[in-house]
Amino acid sequence: MQAKKEADFTLDLRGESCPYPVIYTLEALEGMNNGELLQVITDCPGSFRNVPEEALKHGYKFAQEPVKNGQEYLFYIYA
Amino acid sequence: MKTMIHTIFQRYWNPYVVLLIAGLLSALYFGLTSTVWAVTGEFTRLGGDLLLLFGVDISGWEYFDMVHLKGTTWSRPDGWIVWGMFIGALMMVLLSNNFKIRLPQQKRRYVQGLVGGIIAGFGARLALGCNLAAFFTGVPQFSIHSWIFIVATGIGTFFGAKLTKMRWWKGRPSLTRGAAKPSKIKKNVIQPYIGGAIAIVYIGLMIYFFATGQHLLGLGALFGLAFGILIERGQICFTSAFRDLFLVGRSVMAKAIIAGMAISSIVTIIVISIYGLTPITQIAAPSTFVGGVLFGLGIVMASGCETGMMYRLMEGQVLFLPVFAGNIIGATFLAYAWDHLGVYNVLVKSGTKVNLIDTIGPVGAILATLAMLGVLYALTIYGEKRYHRNLTMKRGVKEHAS
Repeated sequence: MQAKKEADFTLDLRGESCPYPVIYTLEALEGMNNGELLQVITDCPGSFRNVPEEALKHGYKFAQEPVKNGQEYLFYIYA
Repeated sequence: MKTMIHTIFQRYWNPYVVLLIAGLLSALYFGLTSTVWAVTGEFTRLGGDLLLLFGVDISGWEYFDMVHLKGTTWSRPDGWIVWGMFIGALMMVLLSNNFKIRLPQQKRRYVQGLVGGIIAGFGARLALGCNLAAFFTGVPQFSIHSWIFIVATGIGTFFGAKLTKMRWWKGRPSLTRGAAKPSKIKKNVIQPYIGGAIAIVYIGLMIYFFATGQHLLGLGALFGLAFGILIERGQICFTSAFRDLFLVGRSVMAKAIIAGMAISSIVTIIVISIYGLTPITQIAAPSTFVGGVLFGLGIVMASGCETGMMYRLMEGQVLFLPVFAGNIIGATFLAYAWDHLGVYNVLVKSGTKVNLIDTIGPVGAILATLAMLGVLYALTIYGEKRYHRNLTMKRGVKEHAS
């Protein structure tokens, strides 16, 4: 594993269903300063795909590969 | 072998592949049974069953005659489509070890789910079908009511998306400073064993249906299972098809659904021509439009339609319990309002059944359908492009301002 930067913010979306994980993630990223790192914890299966895909499409970069943690996913995204 | 298991159970399948298979299977199901893949008709019957259980006299309700409320859900092929879908989805969720009780942090979601579910259930039955019979399996039957329904659903979804963006509706997420710890993973993996056990019992049941000559029930159970597996593995979400285009410029689901309808239309026209089957045509009336708008609005409010909520519920997303209840309440209320509140006279009576095969012939019907789907596809791409263009412009303004 690469050296991990500590996340600046964490968005805990456990329990939320689509489309709210995507909306919340994009909004959180928009509100943060450039280069800050956001950790997203989500367990809505739809969001396993649409959160990373839309974050990339909206021009954000991932700090590392998504982490599958049991029935949830962790995403690390730079604002 | 290990990679195959990984691909089937650990990863979600490509929605294009899933919807192409679903389109093919629904055409095949029509060829075998002369009925289509549908769910809300059965939801209405479930509502009727419940009313009977509570001793309500529904003998005079016209709508229940129309949807052939007979027997129990276990003796109806449409019933087995619904239960097969639930079980197919549950099986796949368990086999991929992905079941988890998921409780929304925002308590308002329960109310939104119930209200949206009622509106969607009511709207779907008013239009005589949800995103399946009036959309995904309605277009390939060349019934013009599905064209009206698609436009109306798009309009309803647009307003739903506006509502979703409002602060009081979506609520505030729990954004905290610093890193937080993820959930602990359980060491013992037992879900796949339960999934396997359910699969064995269900296969036994299907064998029983066919062995005892109950072919329609067997086919319902078999195709329902297949549809359930497909929508869960593809995470097929009709609600998101229009909504996410408006919300975040996401187009993949809309495009996959259009592709699925195109293949289903082609196979269906071949099946109809070869076997001389009569396509299933529903009445096209003001009710189709009103129902479609209500349906589009309701599914976005509830975060899921009558199809999508099925596998989400099986994943353990508790939000979809009130949505399911709402769907049945809405459908049952429509059945009441149909004759008791004059819905039929005001919105339905003036309509007629129009099928493209009757009006412009089979070749015209398939060409017109493919052209319509082509226009939908182009509009989808346009919508996505427009969203991202606006986004770039907004960013540009923001950068100059700061």
